[in-house]
Parts: sequence; C-alpha cells; structure tokens
Amino acid sequence: MTHLNLPRRLFPFAAAFLFLFSVILTLSPAVRERAWGADLRWGHWIGFAVWLALYLLASRVTARRLPDLDPFILPSAFLLCGWGLLAIWRLDPYFGARQTVWLVVSAGAFLLALHLPADLTRLRRYKYLTLLGGILLTALTLAFGSNPSGAGPRLWIGGADVYLQPSEPLKLLLVIYLAAYLADRLPVETLQSGPAPRSLRRALSIPLLVPTAALTGLSLLILLVQRDLGTASIFLLLYTIVLFLATGDRRVLLVTAVGLSLAALIGYYFVDIIRLRLDAWLTPWNDPSGRSFQIVQSLLAIANGGTFGRGPGLGSPGLVPVSISDFIYTAIAEETGLLGSIGLLALFGLLVVRGLRAALLAPDRFQRLLAGGLTAYIGVQSLLIIGGNLRLLPLTGVTLPFVSYGGSSLLTAFLALALLLRVDSRENEPAPLADHRPYTLLAALFLLGFGATSLASGWWAVVRGPDLLTRTDNARRSIADRYVRRGSILDRENQPIAITRQIENQYSRDYIYTDASPLTGYTHPVYGQAGMEASLDNYLRGLRGNPSSLIWWNHLLYGSPPPGLDVRLSLDLRLQRAADALLGDRAGAIILLNAQSGEILTMASHPAYDPNLLDESGAALQADPRAPLLNRAAQGSYPPASFPNPLLAAQFGSASIPEDTRKIAFFRQLGFYAAPDLQMPVGAPAKLGQLNNLRVSPLQMALAYAPLSNGGVRPAPRIALAVDTPTQGWVILPASGEPLRVMDEAKANAAAESLGVQNQPFWEYAAKSSEGEKSFTWFAAGTLPDWQGTRLVLVILLEENNAPLIKSIGETLLNKALNP
Amino acid sequence: MSGILVLVLRLVLAACLYAFLGWMLLTLWKDLRAQGLGLSVQKAPMLDLAIQRAGGNVSRRIVRQAELLIGRDPACEIALDDDAVSARHARLSYHHGQWWVEDLGSTNGTRLNQLPLPIPAVLTTGDQIECGHTAIIVGIGAPAETSPTTRL
Repeated sequence: MTHLNLPRRLFPFAAAFLFLFSVILTLSPAVRERAWGADLRWGHWIGFAVWLALYLLASRVTARRLPDLDPFILPSAFLLCGWGLLAIWRLDPYFGARQTVWLVVSAGAFLLALHLPADLTRLRRYKYLTLLGGILLTALTLAFGSNPSGAGPRLWIGGADVYLQPSEPLKLLLVIYLAAYLADRLPVETLQSGPAPRSLRRALSIPLLVPTAALTGLSLLILLVQRDLGTASIFLLLYTIVLFLATGDRRVLLVTAVGLSLAALIGYYFVDIIRLRLDAWLTPWNDPSGRSFQIVQSLLAIANGGTFGRGPGLGSPGLVPVSISDFIYTAIAEETGLLGSIGLLALFGLLVVRGLRAALLAPDRFQRLLAGGLTAYIGVQSLLIIGGNLRLLPLTGVTLPFVSYGGSSLLTAFLALALLLRVDSRENEPAPLADHRPYTLLAALFLLGFGATSLASGWWAVVRGPDLLTRTDNARRSIADRYVRRGSILDRENQPIAITRQIENQYSRDYIYTDASPLTGYTHPVYGQAGMEASLDNYLRGLRGNPSSLIWWNHLLYGSPPPGLDVRLSLDLRLQRAADALLGDRAGAIILLNAQSGEILTMASHPAYDPNLLDESGAALQADPRAPLLNRAAQGSYPPASFPNPLLAAQFGSASIPEDTRKIAFFRQLGFYAAPDLQMPVGAPAKLGQLNNLRVSPLQMALAYAPLSNGGVRPAPRIALAVDTPTQGWVILPASGEPLRVMDEAKANAAAESLGVQNQPFWEYAAKSSEGEKSFTWFAAGTLPDWQGTRLVLVILLEENNAPLIKSIGETLLNKALNP
Repeated sequence: MSGILVLVLRLVLAACLYAFLGWMLLTLWKDLRAQGLGLSVQKAPMLDLAIQRAGGNVSRRIVRQAELLIGRDPACEIALDDDAVSARHARLSYHHGQWWVEDLGSTNGTRLNQLPLPIPAVLTTGDQIECGHTAIIVGIGAPAETSPTTRL
C-alpha cells in the first residue's frame, strides 16, 4: 500500500517546520530591534530537542511493533503538540519548560498505553468502576480544589507545583462508559435490519437511558457547581454524539440543541456568569476594556496576524490574557497568520476524519462507539475553543487538545489518541453497520465547523483586519513605537518641540518644549495620545506620506510601520515662549494668528503639564479639577457676552441693534457655529442658532476677529505646515478650509481704525463675561490696515476678571511680535 | 537585513507546513484511487450456461455481466419460451466472491440439482438449475479479462 511509508515521509516536513520555527524564534529579537546585537532566544531549543526525540522514538516504536497503525493520526498529533509546545515556549519560557516535562510524561503514557497487552475489552468490563472513580475525583475538587494561579475556579487537585484537573480525564472515562453501556444494552436488531425506525424508538426507551443520563447528569452537576461551563458543555455534547452514533436517531441532536438553547436562555436571566459570557459574545464592542477585553484583544491579535502572520516571536500575542491555554489559537494565528491557522485547522480536520474512519472500521460495536466518542472529544473541544477565540461561539475556558498548555489536557489527549489507535487495527473485519449516516453526518458537521472557523479566521485577519488594527486599544501601536522612530514635531524655524531619542535599540519620546503641552499633547503607552501627537499621528508614525509599498514592506518584515516623518508646525517658539511666560500660572489661553494666512503662531493654554512626567503624574492629571490636559485655546468653550460687539457694529453700524436672524447669519459667517477645520483636536461647536447660550473657543474668536486686520476676510486656520517625506523632501500641507469674506473691506478697516490705540500700530478691545460664579475676560488685538508687515491678530482669554492684566499681556506680546 | 532573512525563513516555514498537509492529501488521494482500482479489478468470472429446452435442443450462452435475469419476458437476459416459466423467474448474480442463484417468487418454483430453492444459493460448475421445463447447466469460467487500468 502506498501509505505505509507515510509517517517516514512526513517526518522531515514536520521536523523542518518546527526547526525553522525555532530558528525564527531565536532570531526574532534581532528582527524586532533591527540589530544583530540583541539578546537572542535560546530556551525553546530544549523543547524542540525533546519533541524531536519523542517523535523519533514514537514513530520508531510504532513502525516496528504496530505497523498497521493509521499513518495519518500520529504525525498530525505530533505536529500539533510540537507546534503548541514552541508557541508556549515563545509566550512564557517557564510554562514552556513545564509543558516539555508534561510532553515527556504524556508521550510516555501514550507509548505505554499503545503497548499494554490487555485489550480494550478490559475497559468495557469495568466501565462503572472507571467512571465512578473519575466522578469521585472530580467531586473531590468541591472540597479540596485549588487553582494553581491563585484565583479563579478551583478545578485542580494537587500541590507542590503539580496539579491535576480531574475533569479532563473524566471526559475520556465518560466516553468509555457510554460506549460500553450502549454497546451492551442497545437491542441488537438495530444493527441488522438497516435503519428501522421502530426498533430505534424502542432503543431510546426511558429505562435504557436512565443510567447513562444519571451518570452524565451527575458529572454535569459537579461541573456546574464548580462553574466549569466549558467542560460541562463538552460533556453534554459528547453524551449527545455517542447516543446519536449508537441509535442513529436525529431527535437526539434536536433535543440537545433545544435543551442547550433553553439552558442558555434561562442562564442568561438567572446566572450571572452565563449572562456575562453571552453579553461579551453578542456585543463585544460595547465594553472592549471590561468584560469583552479578552475577545476583543483576541480579535486584534488575529487581525495583526493578517495573511502571512508576523512570524514566530514577532507578534504580540502575550497581550491577550491566558494566551498559553485558552487563547493559544489566537497566538498561533497572530504569528503564523491565516496560512498557519488554516494549516492548523486542516490538521484537526484530518485527525477527526481519520478518527471517524477508524470508528467505521472498528471490529465491534463497543470499539466503534469508543472511537467515535474519542474523535468527537477532539473535534468538539477544538471547535468550541477555536470558535470562542473567533467570536463564532460564546467563550468557554477549555483547552485546545494537543496544543494548549496544561498537563491534564495533554495527557488526556494523548491517552485518547492511544485508545483511538488501538481501535484502528486491521486484523479483523469491520463489524456490520446498520446505518452509516450518523458517522457521515458527524464527519460532515465537523468539516463544516472547521470550514466555518477557517472562514471566520479569514474574516478577522483579512477583511476586518486593517480596521481593527487602528483601534486605540490595540497596544501593538505603542509597542511598535519602542522599535520604530517616531517623527519629530518642529516649530516653523525647525526648532524641536517633541523628538524621539534612541537608547540601545529602543526609542522613547522626549518633549523639549513642554509649556505648549495642551497643544502638542502626548503619546503614551498607557494614556494613549492627545493633541497634535494624536491628530498628526499618521504622519508621525509613518503611515501617511511614505510610499505605500514601503509601508507594506515594513509591515510584512517587521509588523510595524516605517520610520515616522517629521512635521513642521506653524508655531513660532520665540513668541510661544513669550506668551507662556506672560500667562504664567493663570488659567487662560492665548492665540496669535497670522490674519492673512491663518497660520497659528502662538497657542498657549494654562495650566499646562509636563508630558515627560506622564508615567508618574498621568492619573493625577486626568483627575485634576483645573483640567491641565484640556487645550483651552481650541477645546475650551466660553460665553462671549458682549465681546463680539465691535464686529456687529462694524457690520451693521453702531447705532442699530440687528434682529436675531441677521445676527445668527453673521455669527455663522464668523464661524461660531462650526468647528475650525484644521489638523488639531477642537471642541464641539455650538448648535446653529444659539445666541444666549452661545459658547465659543478662543480659536473661533481669533478667527472671527481676524477680518478686522485682514480687510474683511476670515482666513482658513493652519497649524501643520509641512511634512518631511523620504522621497520629495519637505511637502507643504495646505489649509483644509477656504478663506471667507465676512464683511466689506471698508467696514473692516473702519472698525479697526475706531479701535486703534494711540501711538501704537494696532487696535485692541477687551470685554468681560461671566457664567454662574465664574467670570472671564476677553481681549482681542490686531494690526491696523496700514501696517506694512505681517498682519496679526491676537485673542486672549483669562478665567478671571482682570482687564488691566489682560491688556498688559496683550500689548507686551503684540509689541514683541511686531518688533522682533 | 535580519528582517529579510527571517521573511525567507517564514516563507519556507509555511511551505513546510503545506508540504506536510499536501503529502497527506496526496496519500489520501492515492489511497482512494487504489481502492477504486481494486474494486474495478474485481470483475465477475464468466458464466458458461448450457440451456436445455423442453424439446431437447441445447444452446450455449456465455455471460460476462455480474447479474442476469431468467424469465419468459423477452427483456430478460436469458429469455425462455416456456409456458411453465414465470415472466421474471430467477436471478443469477455475482457478489461476495460467488455466483448466486435466487428464485424471484416464480409460480412453479426453481430447483437446483433437483431440490427446491427457498433461499439464494451459491453456484458451482456442474450445477443444474431447472425453471419450468428448461434445465440450465452452469459452468463458471476464469475471471473475465481485466484491463481497467488506464494509468493516470
């Protein structure tokens, strides 16, 4: 036969796969830091060596002593467990070492079970003993249970660093018991005369089912008391599947489906943990940092994997909680991509199909049901957890057989494999089969399940991936910031405001000029981003302005964007420094605009903060009642009161008071009802038509007063002037809005002249406003129409009633700007 | 530099995984083909029937298919012009490695070597099947020529 050589042929591919996996894992720190001097990883080679030795031993022994074994099952299982072992080493070397020990134990038990002289009938005879023993052991967890991680459900028994989860082997014992019981008790005629509905109905008689239902129910009860919902649902599904295989009655499936839905519905209303799980499944995006944190992070990891994966050691699967056991599929999907996850699913699919084939070829009823049940255990459990990782199913905390971390789980999987392989002997003729349809239906259902999980993987990795990765709760962005240079923020003379420093292959953000922090903002792994750091993030991170081929190539190689681009702001640090000094520690805002071009030369907001100290002071800043994080100049909103009166007088004449509709139309032209259109976080504008409750930001006010110094034209504001691209050098970033004429040139000039200050080249105006107990002072000033230099307009707001101070700040600053 | 090296290694890694899977699928397919070939090789051995009619004249029929009907109906493979034979009288078929004869509920019954035939029975060379007034002497030849292997 062609397939006798198969294990020998497959061995080099499996070994090469894991060898390359290990090599890449060793090199991964060098890729991440983009320098050969990085600390390379070596620990996982122990795992690889042990796996290789065990695989060689197992295939040598089985090839000599059991030449008729199914040639597909053993290589697939060993590839899966080796893959899982290296994935665990990559996530956490401590657990990797433990899993290596468990692999030795499990593979030893596997080989032993494969070679024991006793045959499977022994199991059949002692079915009650084995199951009751398992149930007792599980019941012990009620009294003596513990959790190795210290908290959470107490499902383990043991101590001194060795723990056993009795519910894992209990699954095997349940399958053995059910197979033995049903093989003994089901009427024989169901076997012979083809699908005969009448005998089936008799087969499902209640007295027959009572013992199995009672024992399964007892196991379920213990698990429900222990709140191990995942294992409980696996038990129920295994019971259903074995019963279905034995009787061929589809009503069994129907009853379980209805029962599970009912249980979920009742649980939703009466059991907290079920409601939490179902809510987290149905509406994960509502609470991505709370109850849905795991699933959202899992989807982000899969999205980060994309088609090709980030490469072993190069993703960030550790961001997903319990990635070594429950979310191992996610970890594998992130680092080997859709290609790897489809390969993994194909291995499981093959395992299940070969297992069901073994069931069909089994020499008697007991072994047939046993093989079917064991295969169902592998298939159901892997689909349940992979589906949970992909949000196809509600999340249940079970392990992925052969792959996940966990001694009990690995041992159980290998014992199941040993039993399955012992069933699959070709010495005897297959037992007669009444109806092949339950087996083919089960195989079809499993393949459908693996197909659906492949599609869901593709959906999250490829279709939804790019969207998901831009989410702010994707911590991979701030991880990438450590290894990729972020662009600098410069003033109009290329003086640095914020730069990125490199310290031993790692980058960190350094804010040189900190007094403008409410405007420039921050980028921080915990507190996220704010200000210009947030609004210019795409340029600073290199996702805009770089050629798309470069971005794609960097993403493929490193999973991160290319080096970021420097951005030049319109700020003039000389004037900014002066404004910050003048404002001191008073709460308020200053804006100095080029009235013609709309460039913002100065934007001060106080109180400010030091973004370099965010690590220590971040939480206190967020709670500070003085709101230092708020950029008062652009995001603050203040009552204008009588402050716009000179503008109204300029437009409508000082004698007449315009009616409200004309006033609203004029305010609309001045921009009071729209957010200024520029690359900067700005506050939400007032609703159109508000007059008494009108609130405007100092930036809006500065743009409204600019026409007095600019011949009646309101400029479009600009803050980001240019970006330094690798291919074309400095590229101008144009203003996003258009200048707008809001009043006649003559009217604007006349209004400016009427506000003129004696012996000074500028006009000025100040007004008070108040809201409740708070009072504010507004100040505006600007160049006169006959000024030959740069046309400027200045607006100041103080959160106090202090006209003399505001006037002196304004005149000092304007003089400094006009006479450099 | 390290990035490009590792990218190449990653591609080989994926190739190894799919070589593993591909080899398995190839083997499955070869298995399937071998089973299909095995089935098509299993042809029924040729039947050599000597038909002795009531009038005494004997004719020979060589049969190569795996199933045939005996009856008065002209559509039967062995159509007998005999009033004591039912329209569909008996069936000869090859399965489980044997040629079998089976009475199809005929009015006058079928006899094998002078004995009635209540259940299907295995045939060997020299057996005599009687339907009505006609006797058929069975000879089983070598398996039919096997050349189904159009190698792919």
